[in-house]
Amino acid sequence: MIGANVRKVDGVKLVTGGAAFTDDINLPGLLYGKILPSPHAHARIKRIDTARAKALPGVHAVLTYKDVPRVPHTTAGQAWPEPSPYDTYLLDSKLRFVGDRVAAVAAETRAIAERAIELIEVDYEVLPAVLDMEQAMADGAPVIHDEPDAKNIHDAAHNIAGYILRQIGDVDQGFLESDYIFEREFRTGRQQHTPLEPHVTICWLDPDGRLVIRSSTQVPYHCRRQVAMILQIPVSQVHVIKPRIGGGFGGKQEMLLEDITAALTLAARRPVKTEYTREEEFYMARSRHPQILRMKMGVKRDGTIVASHLKVISTTGAYGSHATTVQGNTGSKVLPLYRAPNIRFECHVVYTNAPVAGAFRGYGCPQGFFAQESLVDEISHELGMDPVEFRRKNMIRLGDVDKLSAQLGEGKEGLPRVIRSCGLPECLDRGAQAIGWSTKKRGLGMACSMQGSGIAGIDWASAFLKMNEDGSFYLQVGASDVGAGADTVLSQIAAETLGVTLDKIIITSGDTDITPFDVGAYASSTTIISGGAVKKAAEKVRTQVLGLASKMLDTPADQLTWANNSVCANGKSVTMSEIALQALYREKFQIMDGASHFNTDSPPPFCATFAEVEVDTETGQVHVLHLASAVDLGKAVNPMQAEGQVEGAVTQGLGYALTEELLLDEAGHPRNANFMDYKIFSAKDMPKLTTILVETHEPLGPYGAKSVSEVPINGVAPAIANAIFNATGIRITKLPIHPEDLVTPPLGGQKVTPPSGGRSVTPPSGGRRN
Amino acid sequence: MFEHVEAFYRPATIREALRLLRAGNGEARIVAGGTDVIVDADRSIRFLIDITNAGLTYIRRDKGTYRIGATTTMAEIEDSPKLRSMANGLLNQAAATCGSVQNRNLATIGGNLAHGSPAADTVTALLALDALVVIASERGQREVPIADYLAGPHKGLLTEITIPAPPAGKRTGWSFQKLGRTAIDVALVNVAAGFQLDARSRVKWAKIALGSAAPTPVRAVQAEQILTGRLLDTNAIGEAAEAVTKSINPITDVRATSAYRRQMSSVLTARALHECAAQAGVSK
Amino acid sequence: MTTMELRFTLNGTPLAWEIGPGDLLLDVLRREGYYGVKRGCEKGECGACTILLDGKPVNACMVFAAQAEGRAIITIEGLAHDGELDPLQIAFLDRGAVQCGFCSGGMLLSARALLNHNPDPTEAEVREALGGNLCRCTGYIKAIEAVLDVAARREATK
Repeated sequence: MIGANVRKVDGVKLVTGGAAFTDDINLPGLLYGKILPSPHAHARIKRIDTARAKALPGVHAVLTYKDVPRVPHTTAGQAWPEPSPYDTYLLDSKLRFVGDRVAAVAAETRAIAERAIELIEVDYEVLPAVLDMEQAMADGAPVIHDEPDAKNIHDAAHNIAGYILRQIGDVDQGFLESDYIFEREFRTGRQQHTPLEPHVTICWLDPDGRLVIRSSTQVPYHCRRQVAMILQIPVSQVHVIKPRIGGGFGGKQEMLLEDITAALTLAARRPVKTEYTREEEFYMARSRHPQILRMKMGVKRDGTIVASHLKVISTTGAYGSHATTVQGNTGSKVLPLYRAPNIRFECHVVYTNAPVAGAFRGYGCPQGFFAQESLVDEISHELGMDPVEFRRKNMIRLGDVDKLSAQLGEGKEGLPRVIRSCGLPECLDRGAQAIGWSTKKRGLGMACSMQGSGIAGIDWASAFLKMNEDGSFYLQVGASDVGAGADTVLSQIAAETLGVTLDKIIITSGDTDITPFDVGAYASSTTIISGGAVKKAAEKVRTQVLGLASKMLDTPADQLTWANNSVCANGKSVTMSEIALQALYREKFQIMDGASHFNTDSPPPFCATFAEVEVDTETGQVHVLHLASAVDLGKAVNPMQAEGQVEGAVTQGLGYALTEELLLDEAGHPRNANFMDYKIFSAKDMPKLTTILVETHEPLGPYGAKSVSEVPINGVAPAIANAIFNATGIRITKLPIHPEDLVTPPLGGQKVTPPSGGRSVTPPSGGRRN
Repeated sequence: MFEHVEAFYRPATIREALRLLRAGNGEARIVAGGTDVIVDADRSIRFLIDITNAGLTYIRRDKGTYRIGATTTMAEIEDSPKLRSMANGLLNQAAATCGSVQNRNLATIGGNLAHGSPAADTVTALLALDALVVIASERGQREVPIADYLAGPHKGLLTEITIPAPPAGKRTGWSFQKLGRTAIDVALVNVAAGFQLDARSRVKWAKIALGSAAPTPVRAVQAEQILTGRLLDTNAIGEAAEAVTKSINPITDVRATSAYRRQMSSVLTARALHECAAQAGVSK
Repeated sequence: MTTMELRFTLNGTPLAWEIGPGDLLLDVLRREGYYGVKRGCEKGECGACTILLDGKPVNACMVFAAQAEGRAIITIEGLAHDGELDPLQIAFLDRGAVQCGFCSGGMLLSARALLNHNPDPTEAEVREALGGNLCRCTGYIKAIEAVLDVAARREATK
């Protein structure tokens, strides 16, 4: 079962249009919920009058800040106590970005709900807004969170949601010891997840008056806790069900529509559905933190990195969801890729009156690796070294201890990371081979990256198994399959451990009434942490099975073998079904057990990304001809699914690098909240992809597995930027890459974007020596 | 979305469609492919008049004139063998770039014209082909050169596009070029060009139209004049490509800057003219 | 609100439904329980609501329900025949071309329409056929391979 390319266990219903997703149900009396979004980037509500809206026939509830409890919280789907600022309110009298919640209605039809929000009368006191993150930190900038009851904001008066400073060694001394110093500033854009299924939540009260939440979420347990807290009802009275999800990528690692939908349900005493339109999904959901990264590296003549200093300014938008944790990753998962003895990471996370940023595949790493891998490429070039050889010389190795991680956990002191599996050298070999690194003459570029597998000491999961009379097992896991195939992989692990065929595992996941706890689908944790829990639970159940089989076969348990739905010894065998019947009807006990699991470390998966590009210099357009990713994921439980995850991550990376950016006008309104002008890659845009799975054995993972879903996104942008440099000599420091910056001759009257704030050292012959 | 619509009509004749339009008194809307009407989401519409049953889906050749019914879809135009032999399939090429397969199976050439986007790909091609537009009203019908139609507005129903067959033959070349941010995109700039050479490789006539470079698609008259009568070589192409910038007035929007559009107009024109040259048998 | 009758054929079965004159086909199909037709953008840009209208792929969000009068519609629910999966559905499953599945129904119909009129497509033609079905999970590669594989196997058995 491990290493088997089995079909997804939920596959047939997905290809036949089976009713599997949140909106695929019809509830009698269902009302349509709608949020009235703020038209202003920064404003107070002076007066709000809902009388006309309430009077509209078909309207069953209208809520403003006056109607709901005020409970400061974070919407970030994180383990409690969440490290993010508690700066969000179910409804507030202050609005902090275009799209912020002014009010909400529930009505009998979508059309009535849309009409009802138009009838809500609001007098706004429009406040000055700030969209630029550097301006937002300056004295005199409008204060976005001036409310007294927000918690855990680093410096609200300067709009600083979070601040991080971590160091190892002494970078100042390290720079003094360097032969050459390189420094550059990079900027990354606001990418949006665009899951094909926008956020949608349906709530209702069950016959016992318990609140049921059926939602497209990656974090059913966190949602349950947060909604209970926000609406001030006991957790036991909330039941969250996660059906099939149409993509999340971190955008659904969030409690987003659940609270407001639940509030409408409680007010209307009817089921309520709230779903974002595609336009709302673009700017009223979440997006990737834009960053300004100033990276400085000191190296010896022979290319050894001595000191590495990364300063980041990032904006979290109007609220601090995932503010310090995403940015913490930009330091903790990026800088330790190289064995510099002196590392310093400093970051300000700033509020602006812009759409809220949150978790997005890579979680701070795409930004950081863009900067680091571009700078390293520049250094290699200046030193006359092959960029691959530069990586080999400096990169982290098997057995290394990453001390920076010890300083940066999920917002607090983490645990030091030991590298117990590392296939990066092989990733470099095989990726270079696939792209023709030594043979091709077009623009070639590459980047290395790593990620984590679960959050050490914080992510945890549990699983439960019980046996049925036909020899099958119900597997109950809190884990959230967001479409990536978690249900399948976890079933494979269970089947392998129990010695049964895959069809004997029936899985239920993500239902807080039925399945045991799991933090949810994020931080690349599902295979390693949830899978670890499944393996443990299956081992405990197997012990019970073998105990009974031992009696039935009159053989000591340690002489038994188990496979293919049977247990055997000395030519005798008994089937799983026979064992189950024996237990249920003769011995009279249920074979069942559960287990919990967490790791105290986060073994990184590694990736080497290679790109071959052709730049049309007349139009400035970049055509990626070939992108090869070599990923060390530990053991591939389902290689086919793993490849799919790599290919999907790479495709989002291609968009991040070349086409995707959510744009705002000067008043903070989104300019391209639609697929016509926010361009994601289609089947026609895809380059040739080569996906190489490099298997290692990770002792901390079930059957040696680590993770695969995030890391392949990280190296795409820098590999492409480096390939563009190789082809044209133009160094790109801003994402997404605009053709306008690559056109030859440069556009009339318009300079090619110069690298701002940094300068590289002149080549070794005339370099800046210390 | 269209909850105020009271009736949906499917008239079998143009006359009936016009009558319904008049009876709708400003609150009726013609719909064919639906791709513009639905996206525009005008909630004040009370009557919808679907004209796809009114006999306006056809592609005909009448001696020296091609006639395309207004509700002919982009897909039908793209796949039409009849049109492929006109101007080396210029219109087929332009239609093929209009969105995705799903879009092209619904979107109509009449709708593309009537909606008035300067980026409409088929319109640029039609402009280069000196097409005419037939507009029907209850008083009768009239034929209007496309440039006049684009200067609009016009009351009535667009029923047909007529294209005088351009000279065919070995010494002609036609090319459609479009620039998008991704493979499927609204044109940042598009160019439709064609010319014919005489026996000595001199340009007998040249047509160059550009879209997304001005409030409506435009003909680059100065560029055409530079080419007419001239020996077709790389210099001539370069000058003509440079000269198109005099006919355009591109804007900066969320898709591209004015400066980029300006420069790309020249780049695409040069590419189009080189492709025409290759078809016309000129060795470079 | 006024209603009208829509008479059409859906997945091979003649039906008569009551609809509003301004109703969109996507909304009507989902209202009647055809949840396989997905709502992704409502602007004809993502393809999640792709259906076959007289055999041609269109976005159901771009069609007024009344325009389906007298026509034949296939939704993803109608792709399998008599409980047997279409070869494309099997290939998508076996080759890992399905992840979250939200785009899969539309993509399968676009592929089916392609092979129906072009049984031996080039890779470029497959990409064109799938170009209007946006996917955020898979990167499209395995779907393209699955379509080419089904085409090749059919050619091989001829």
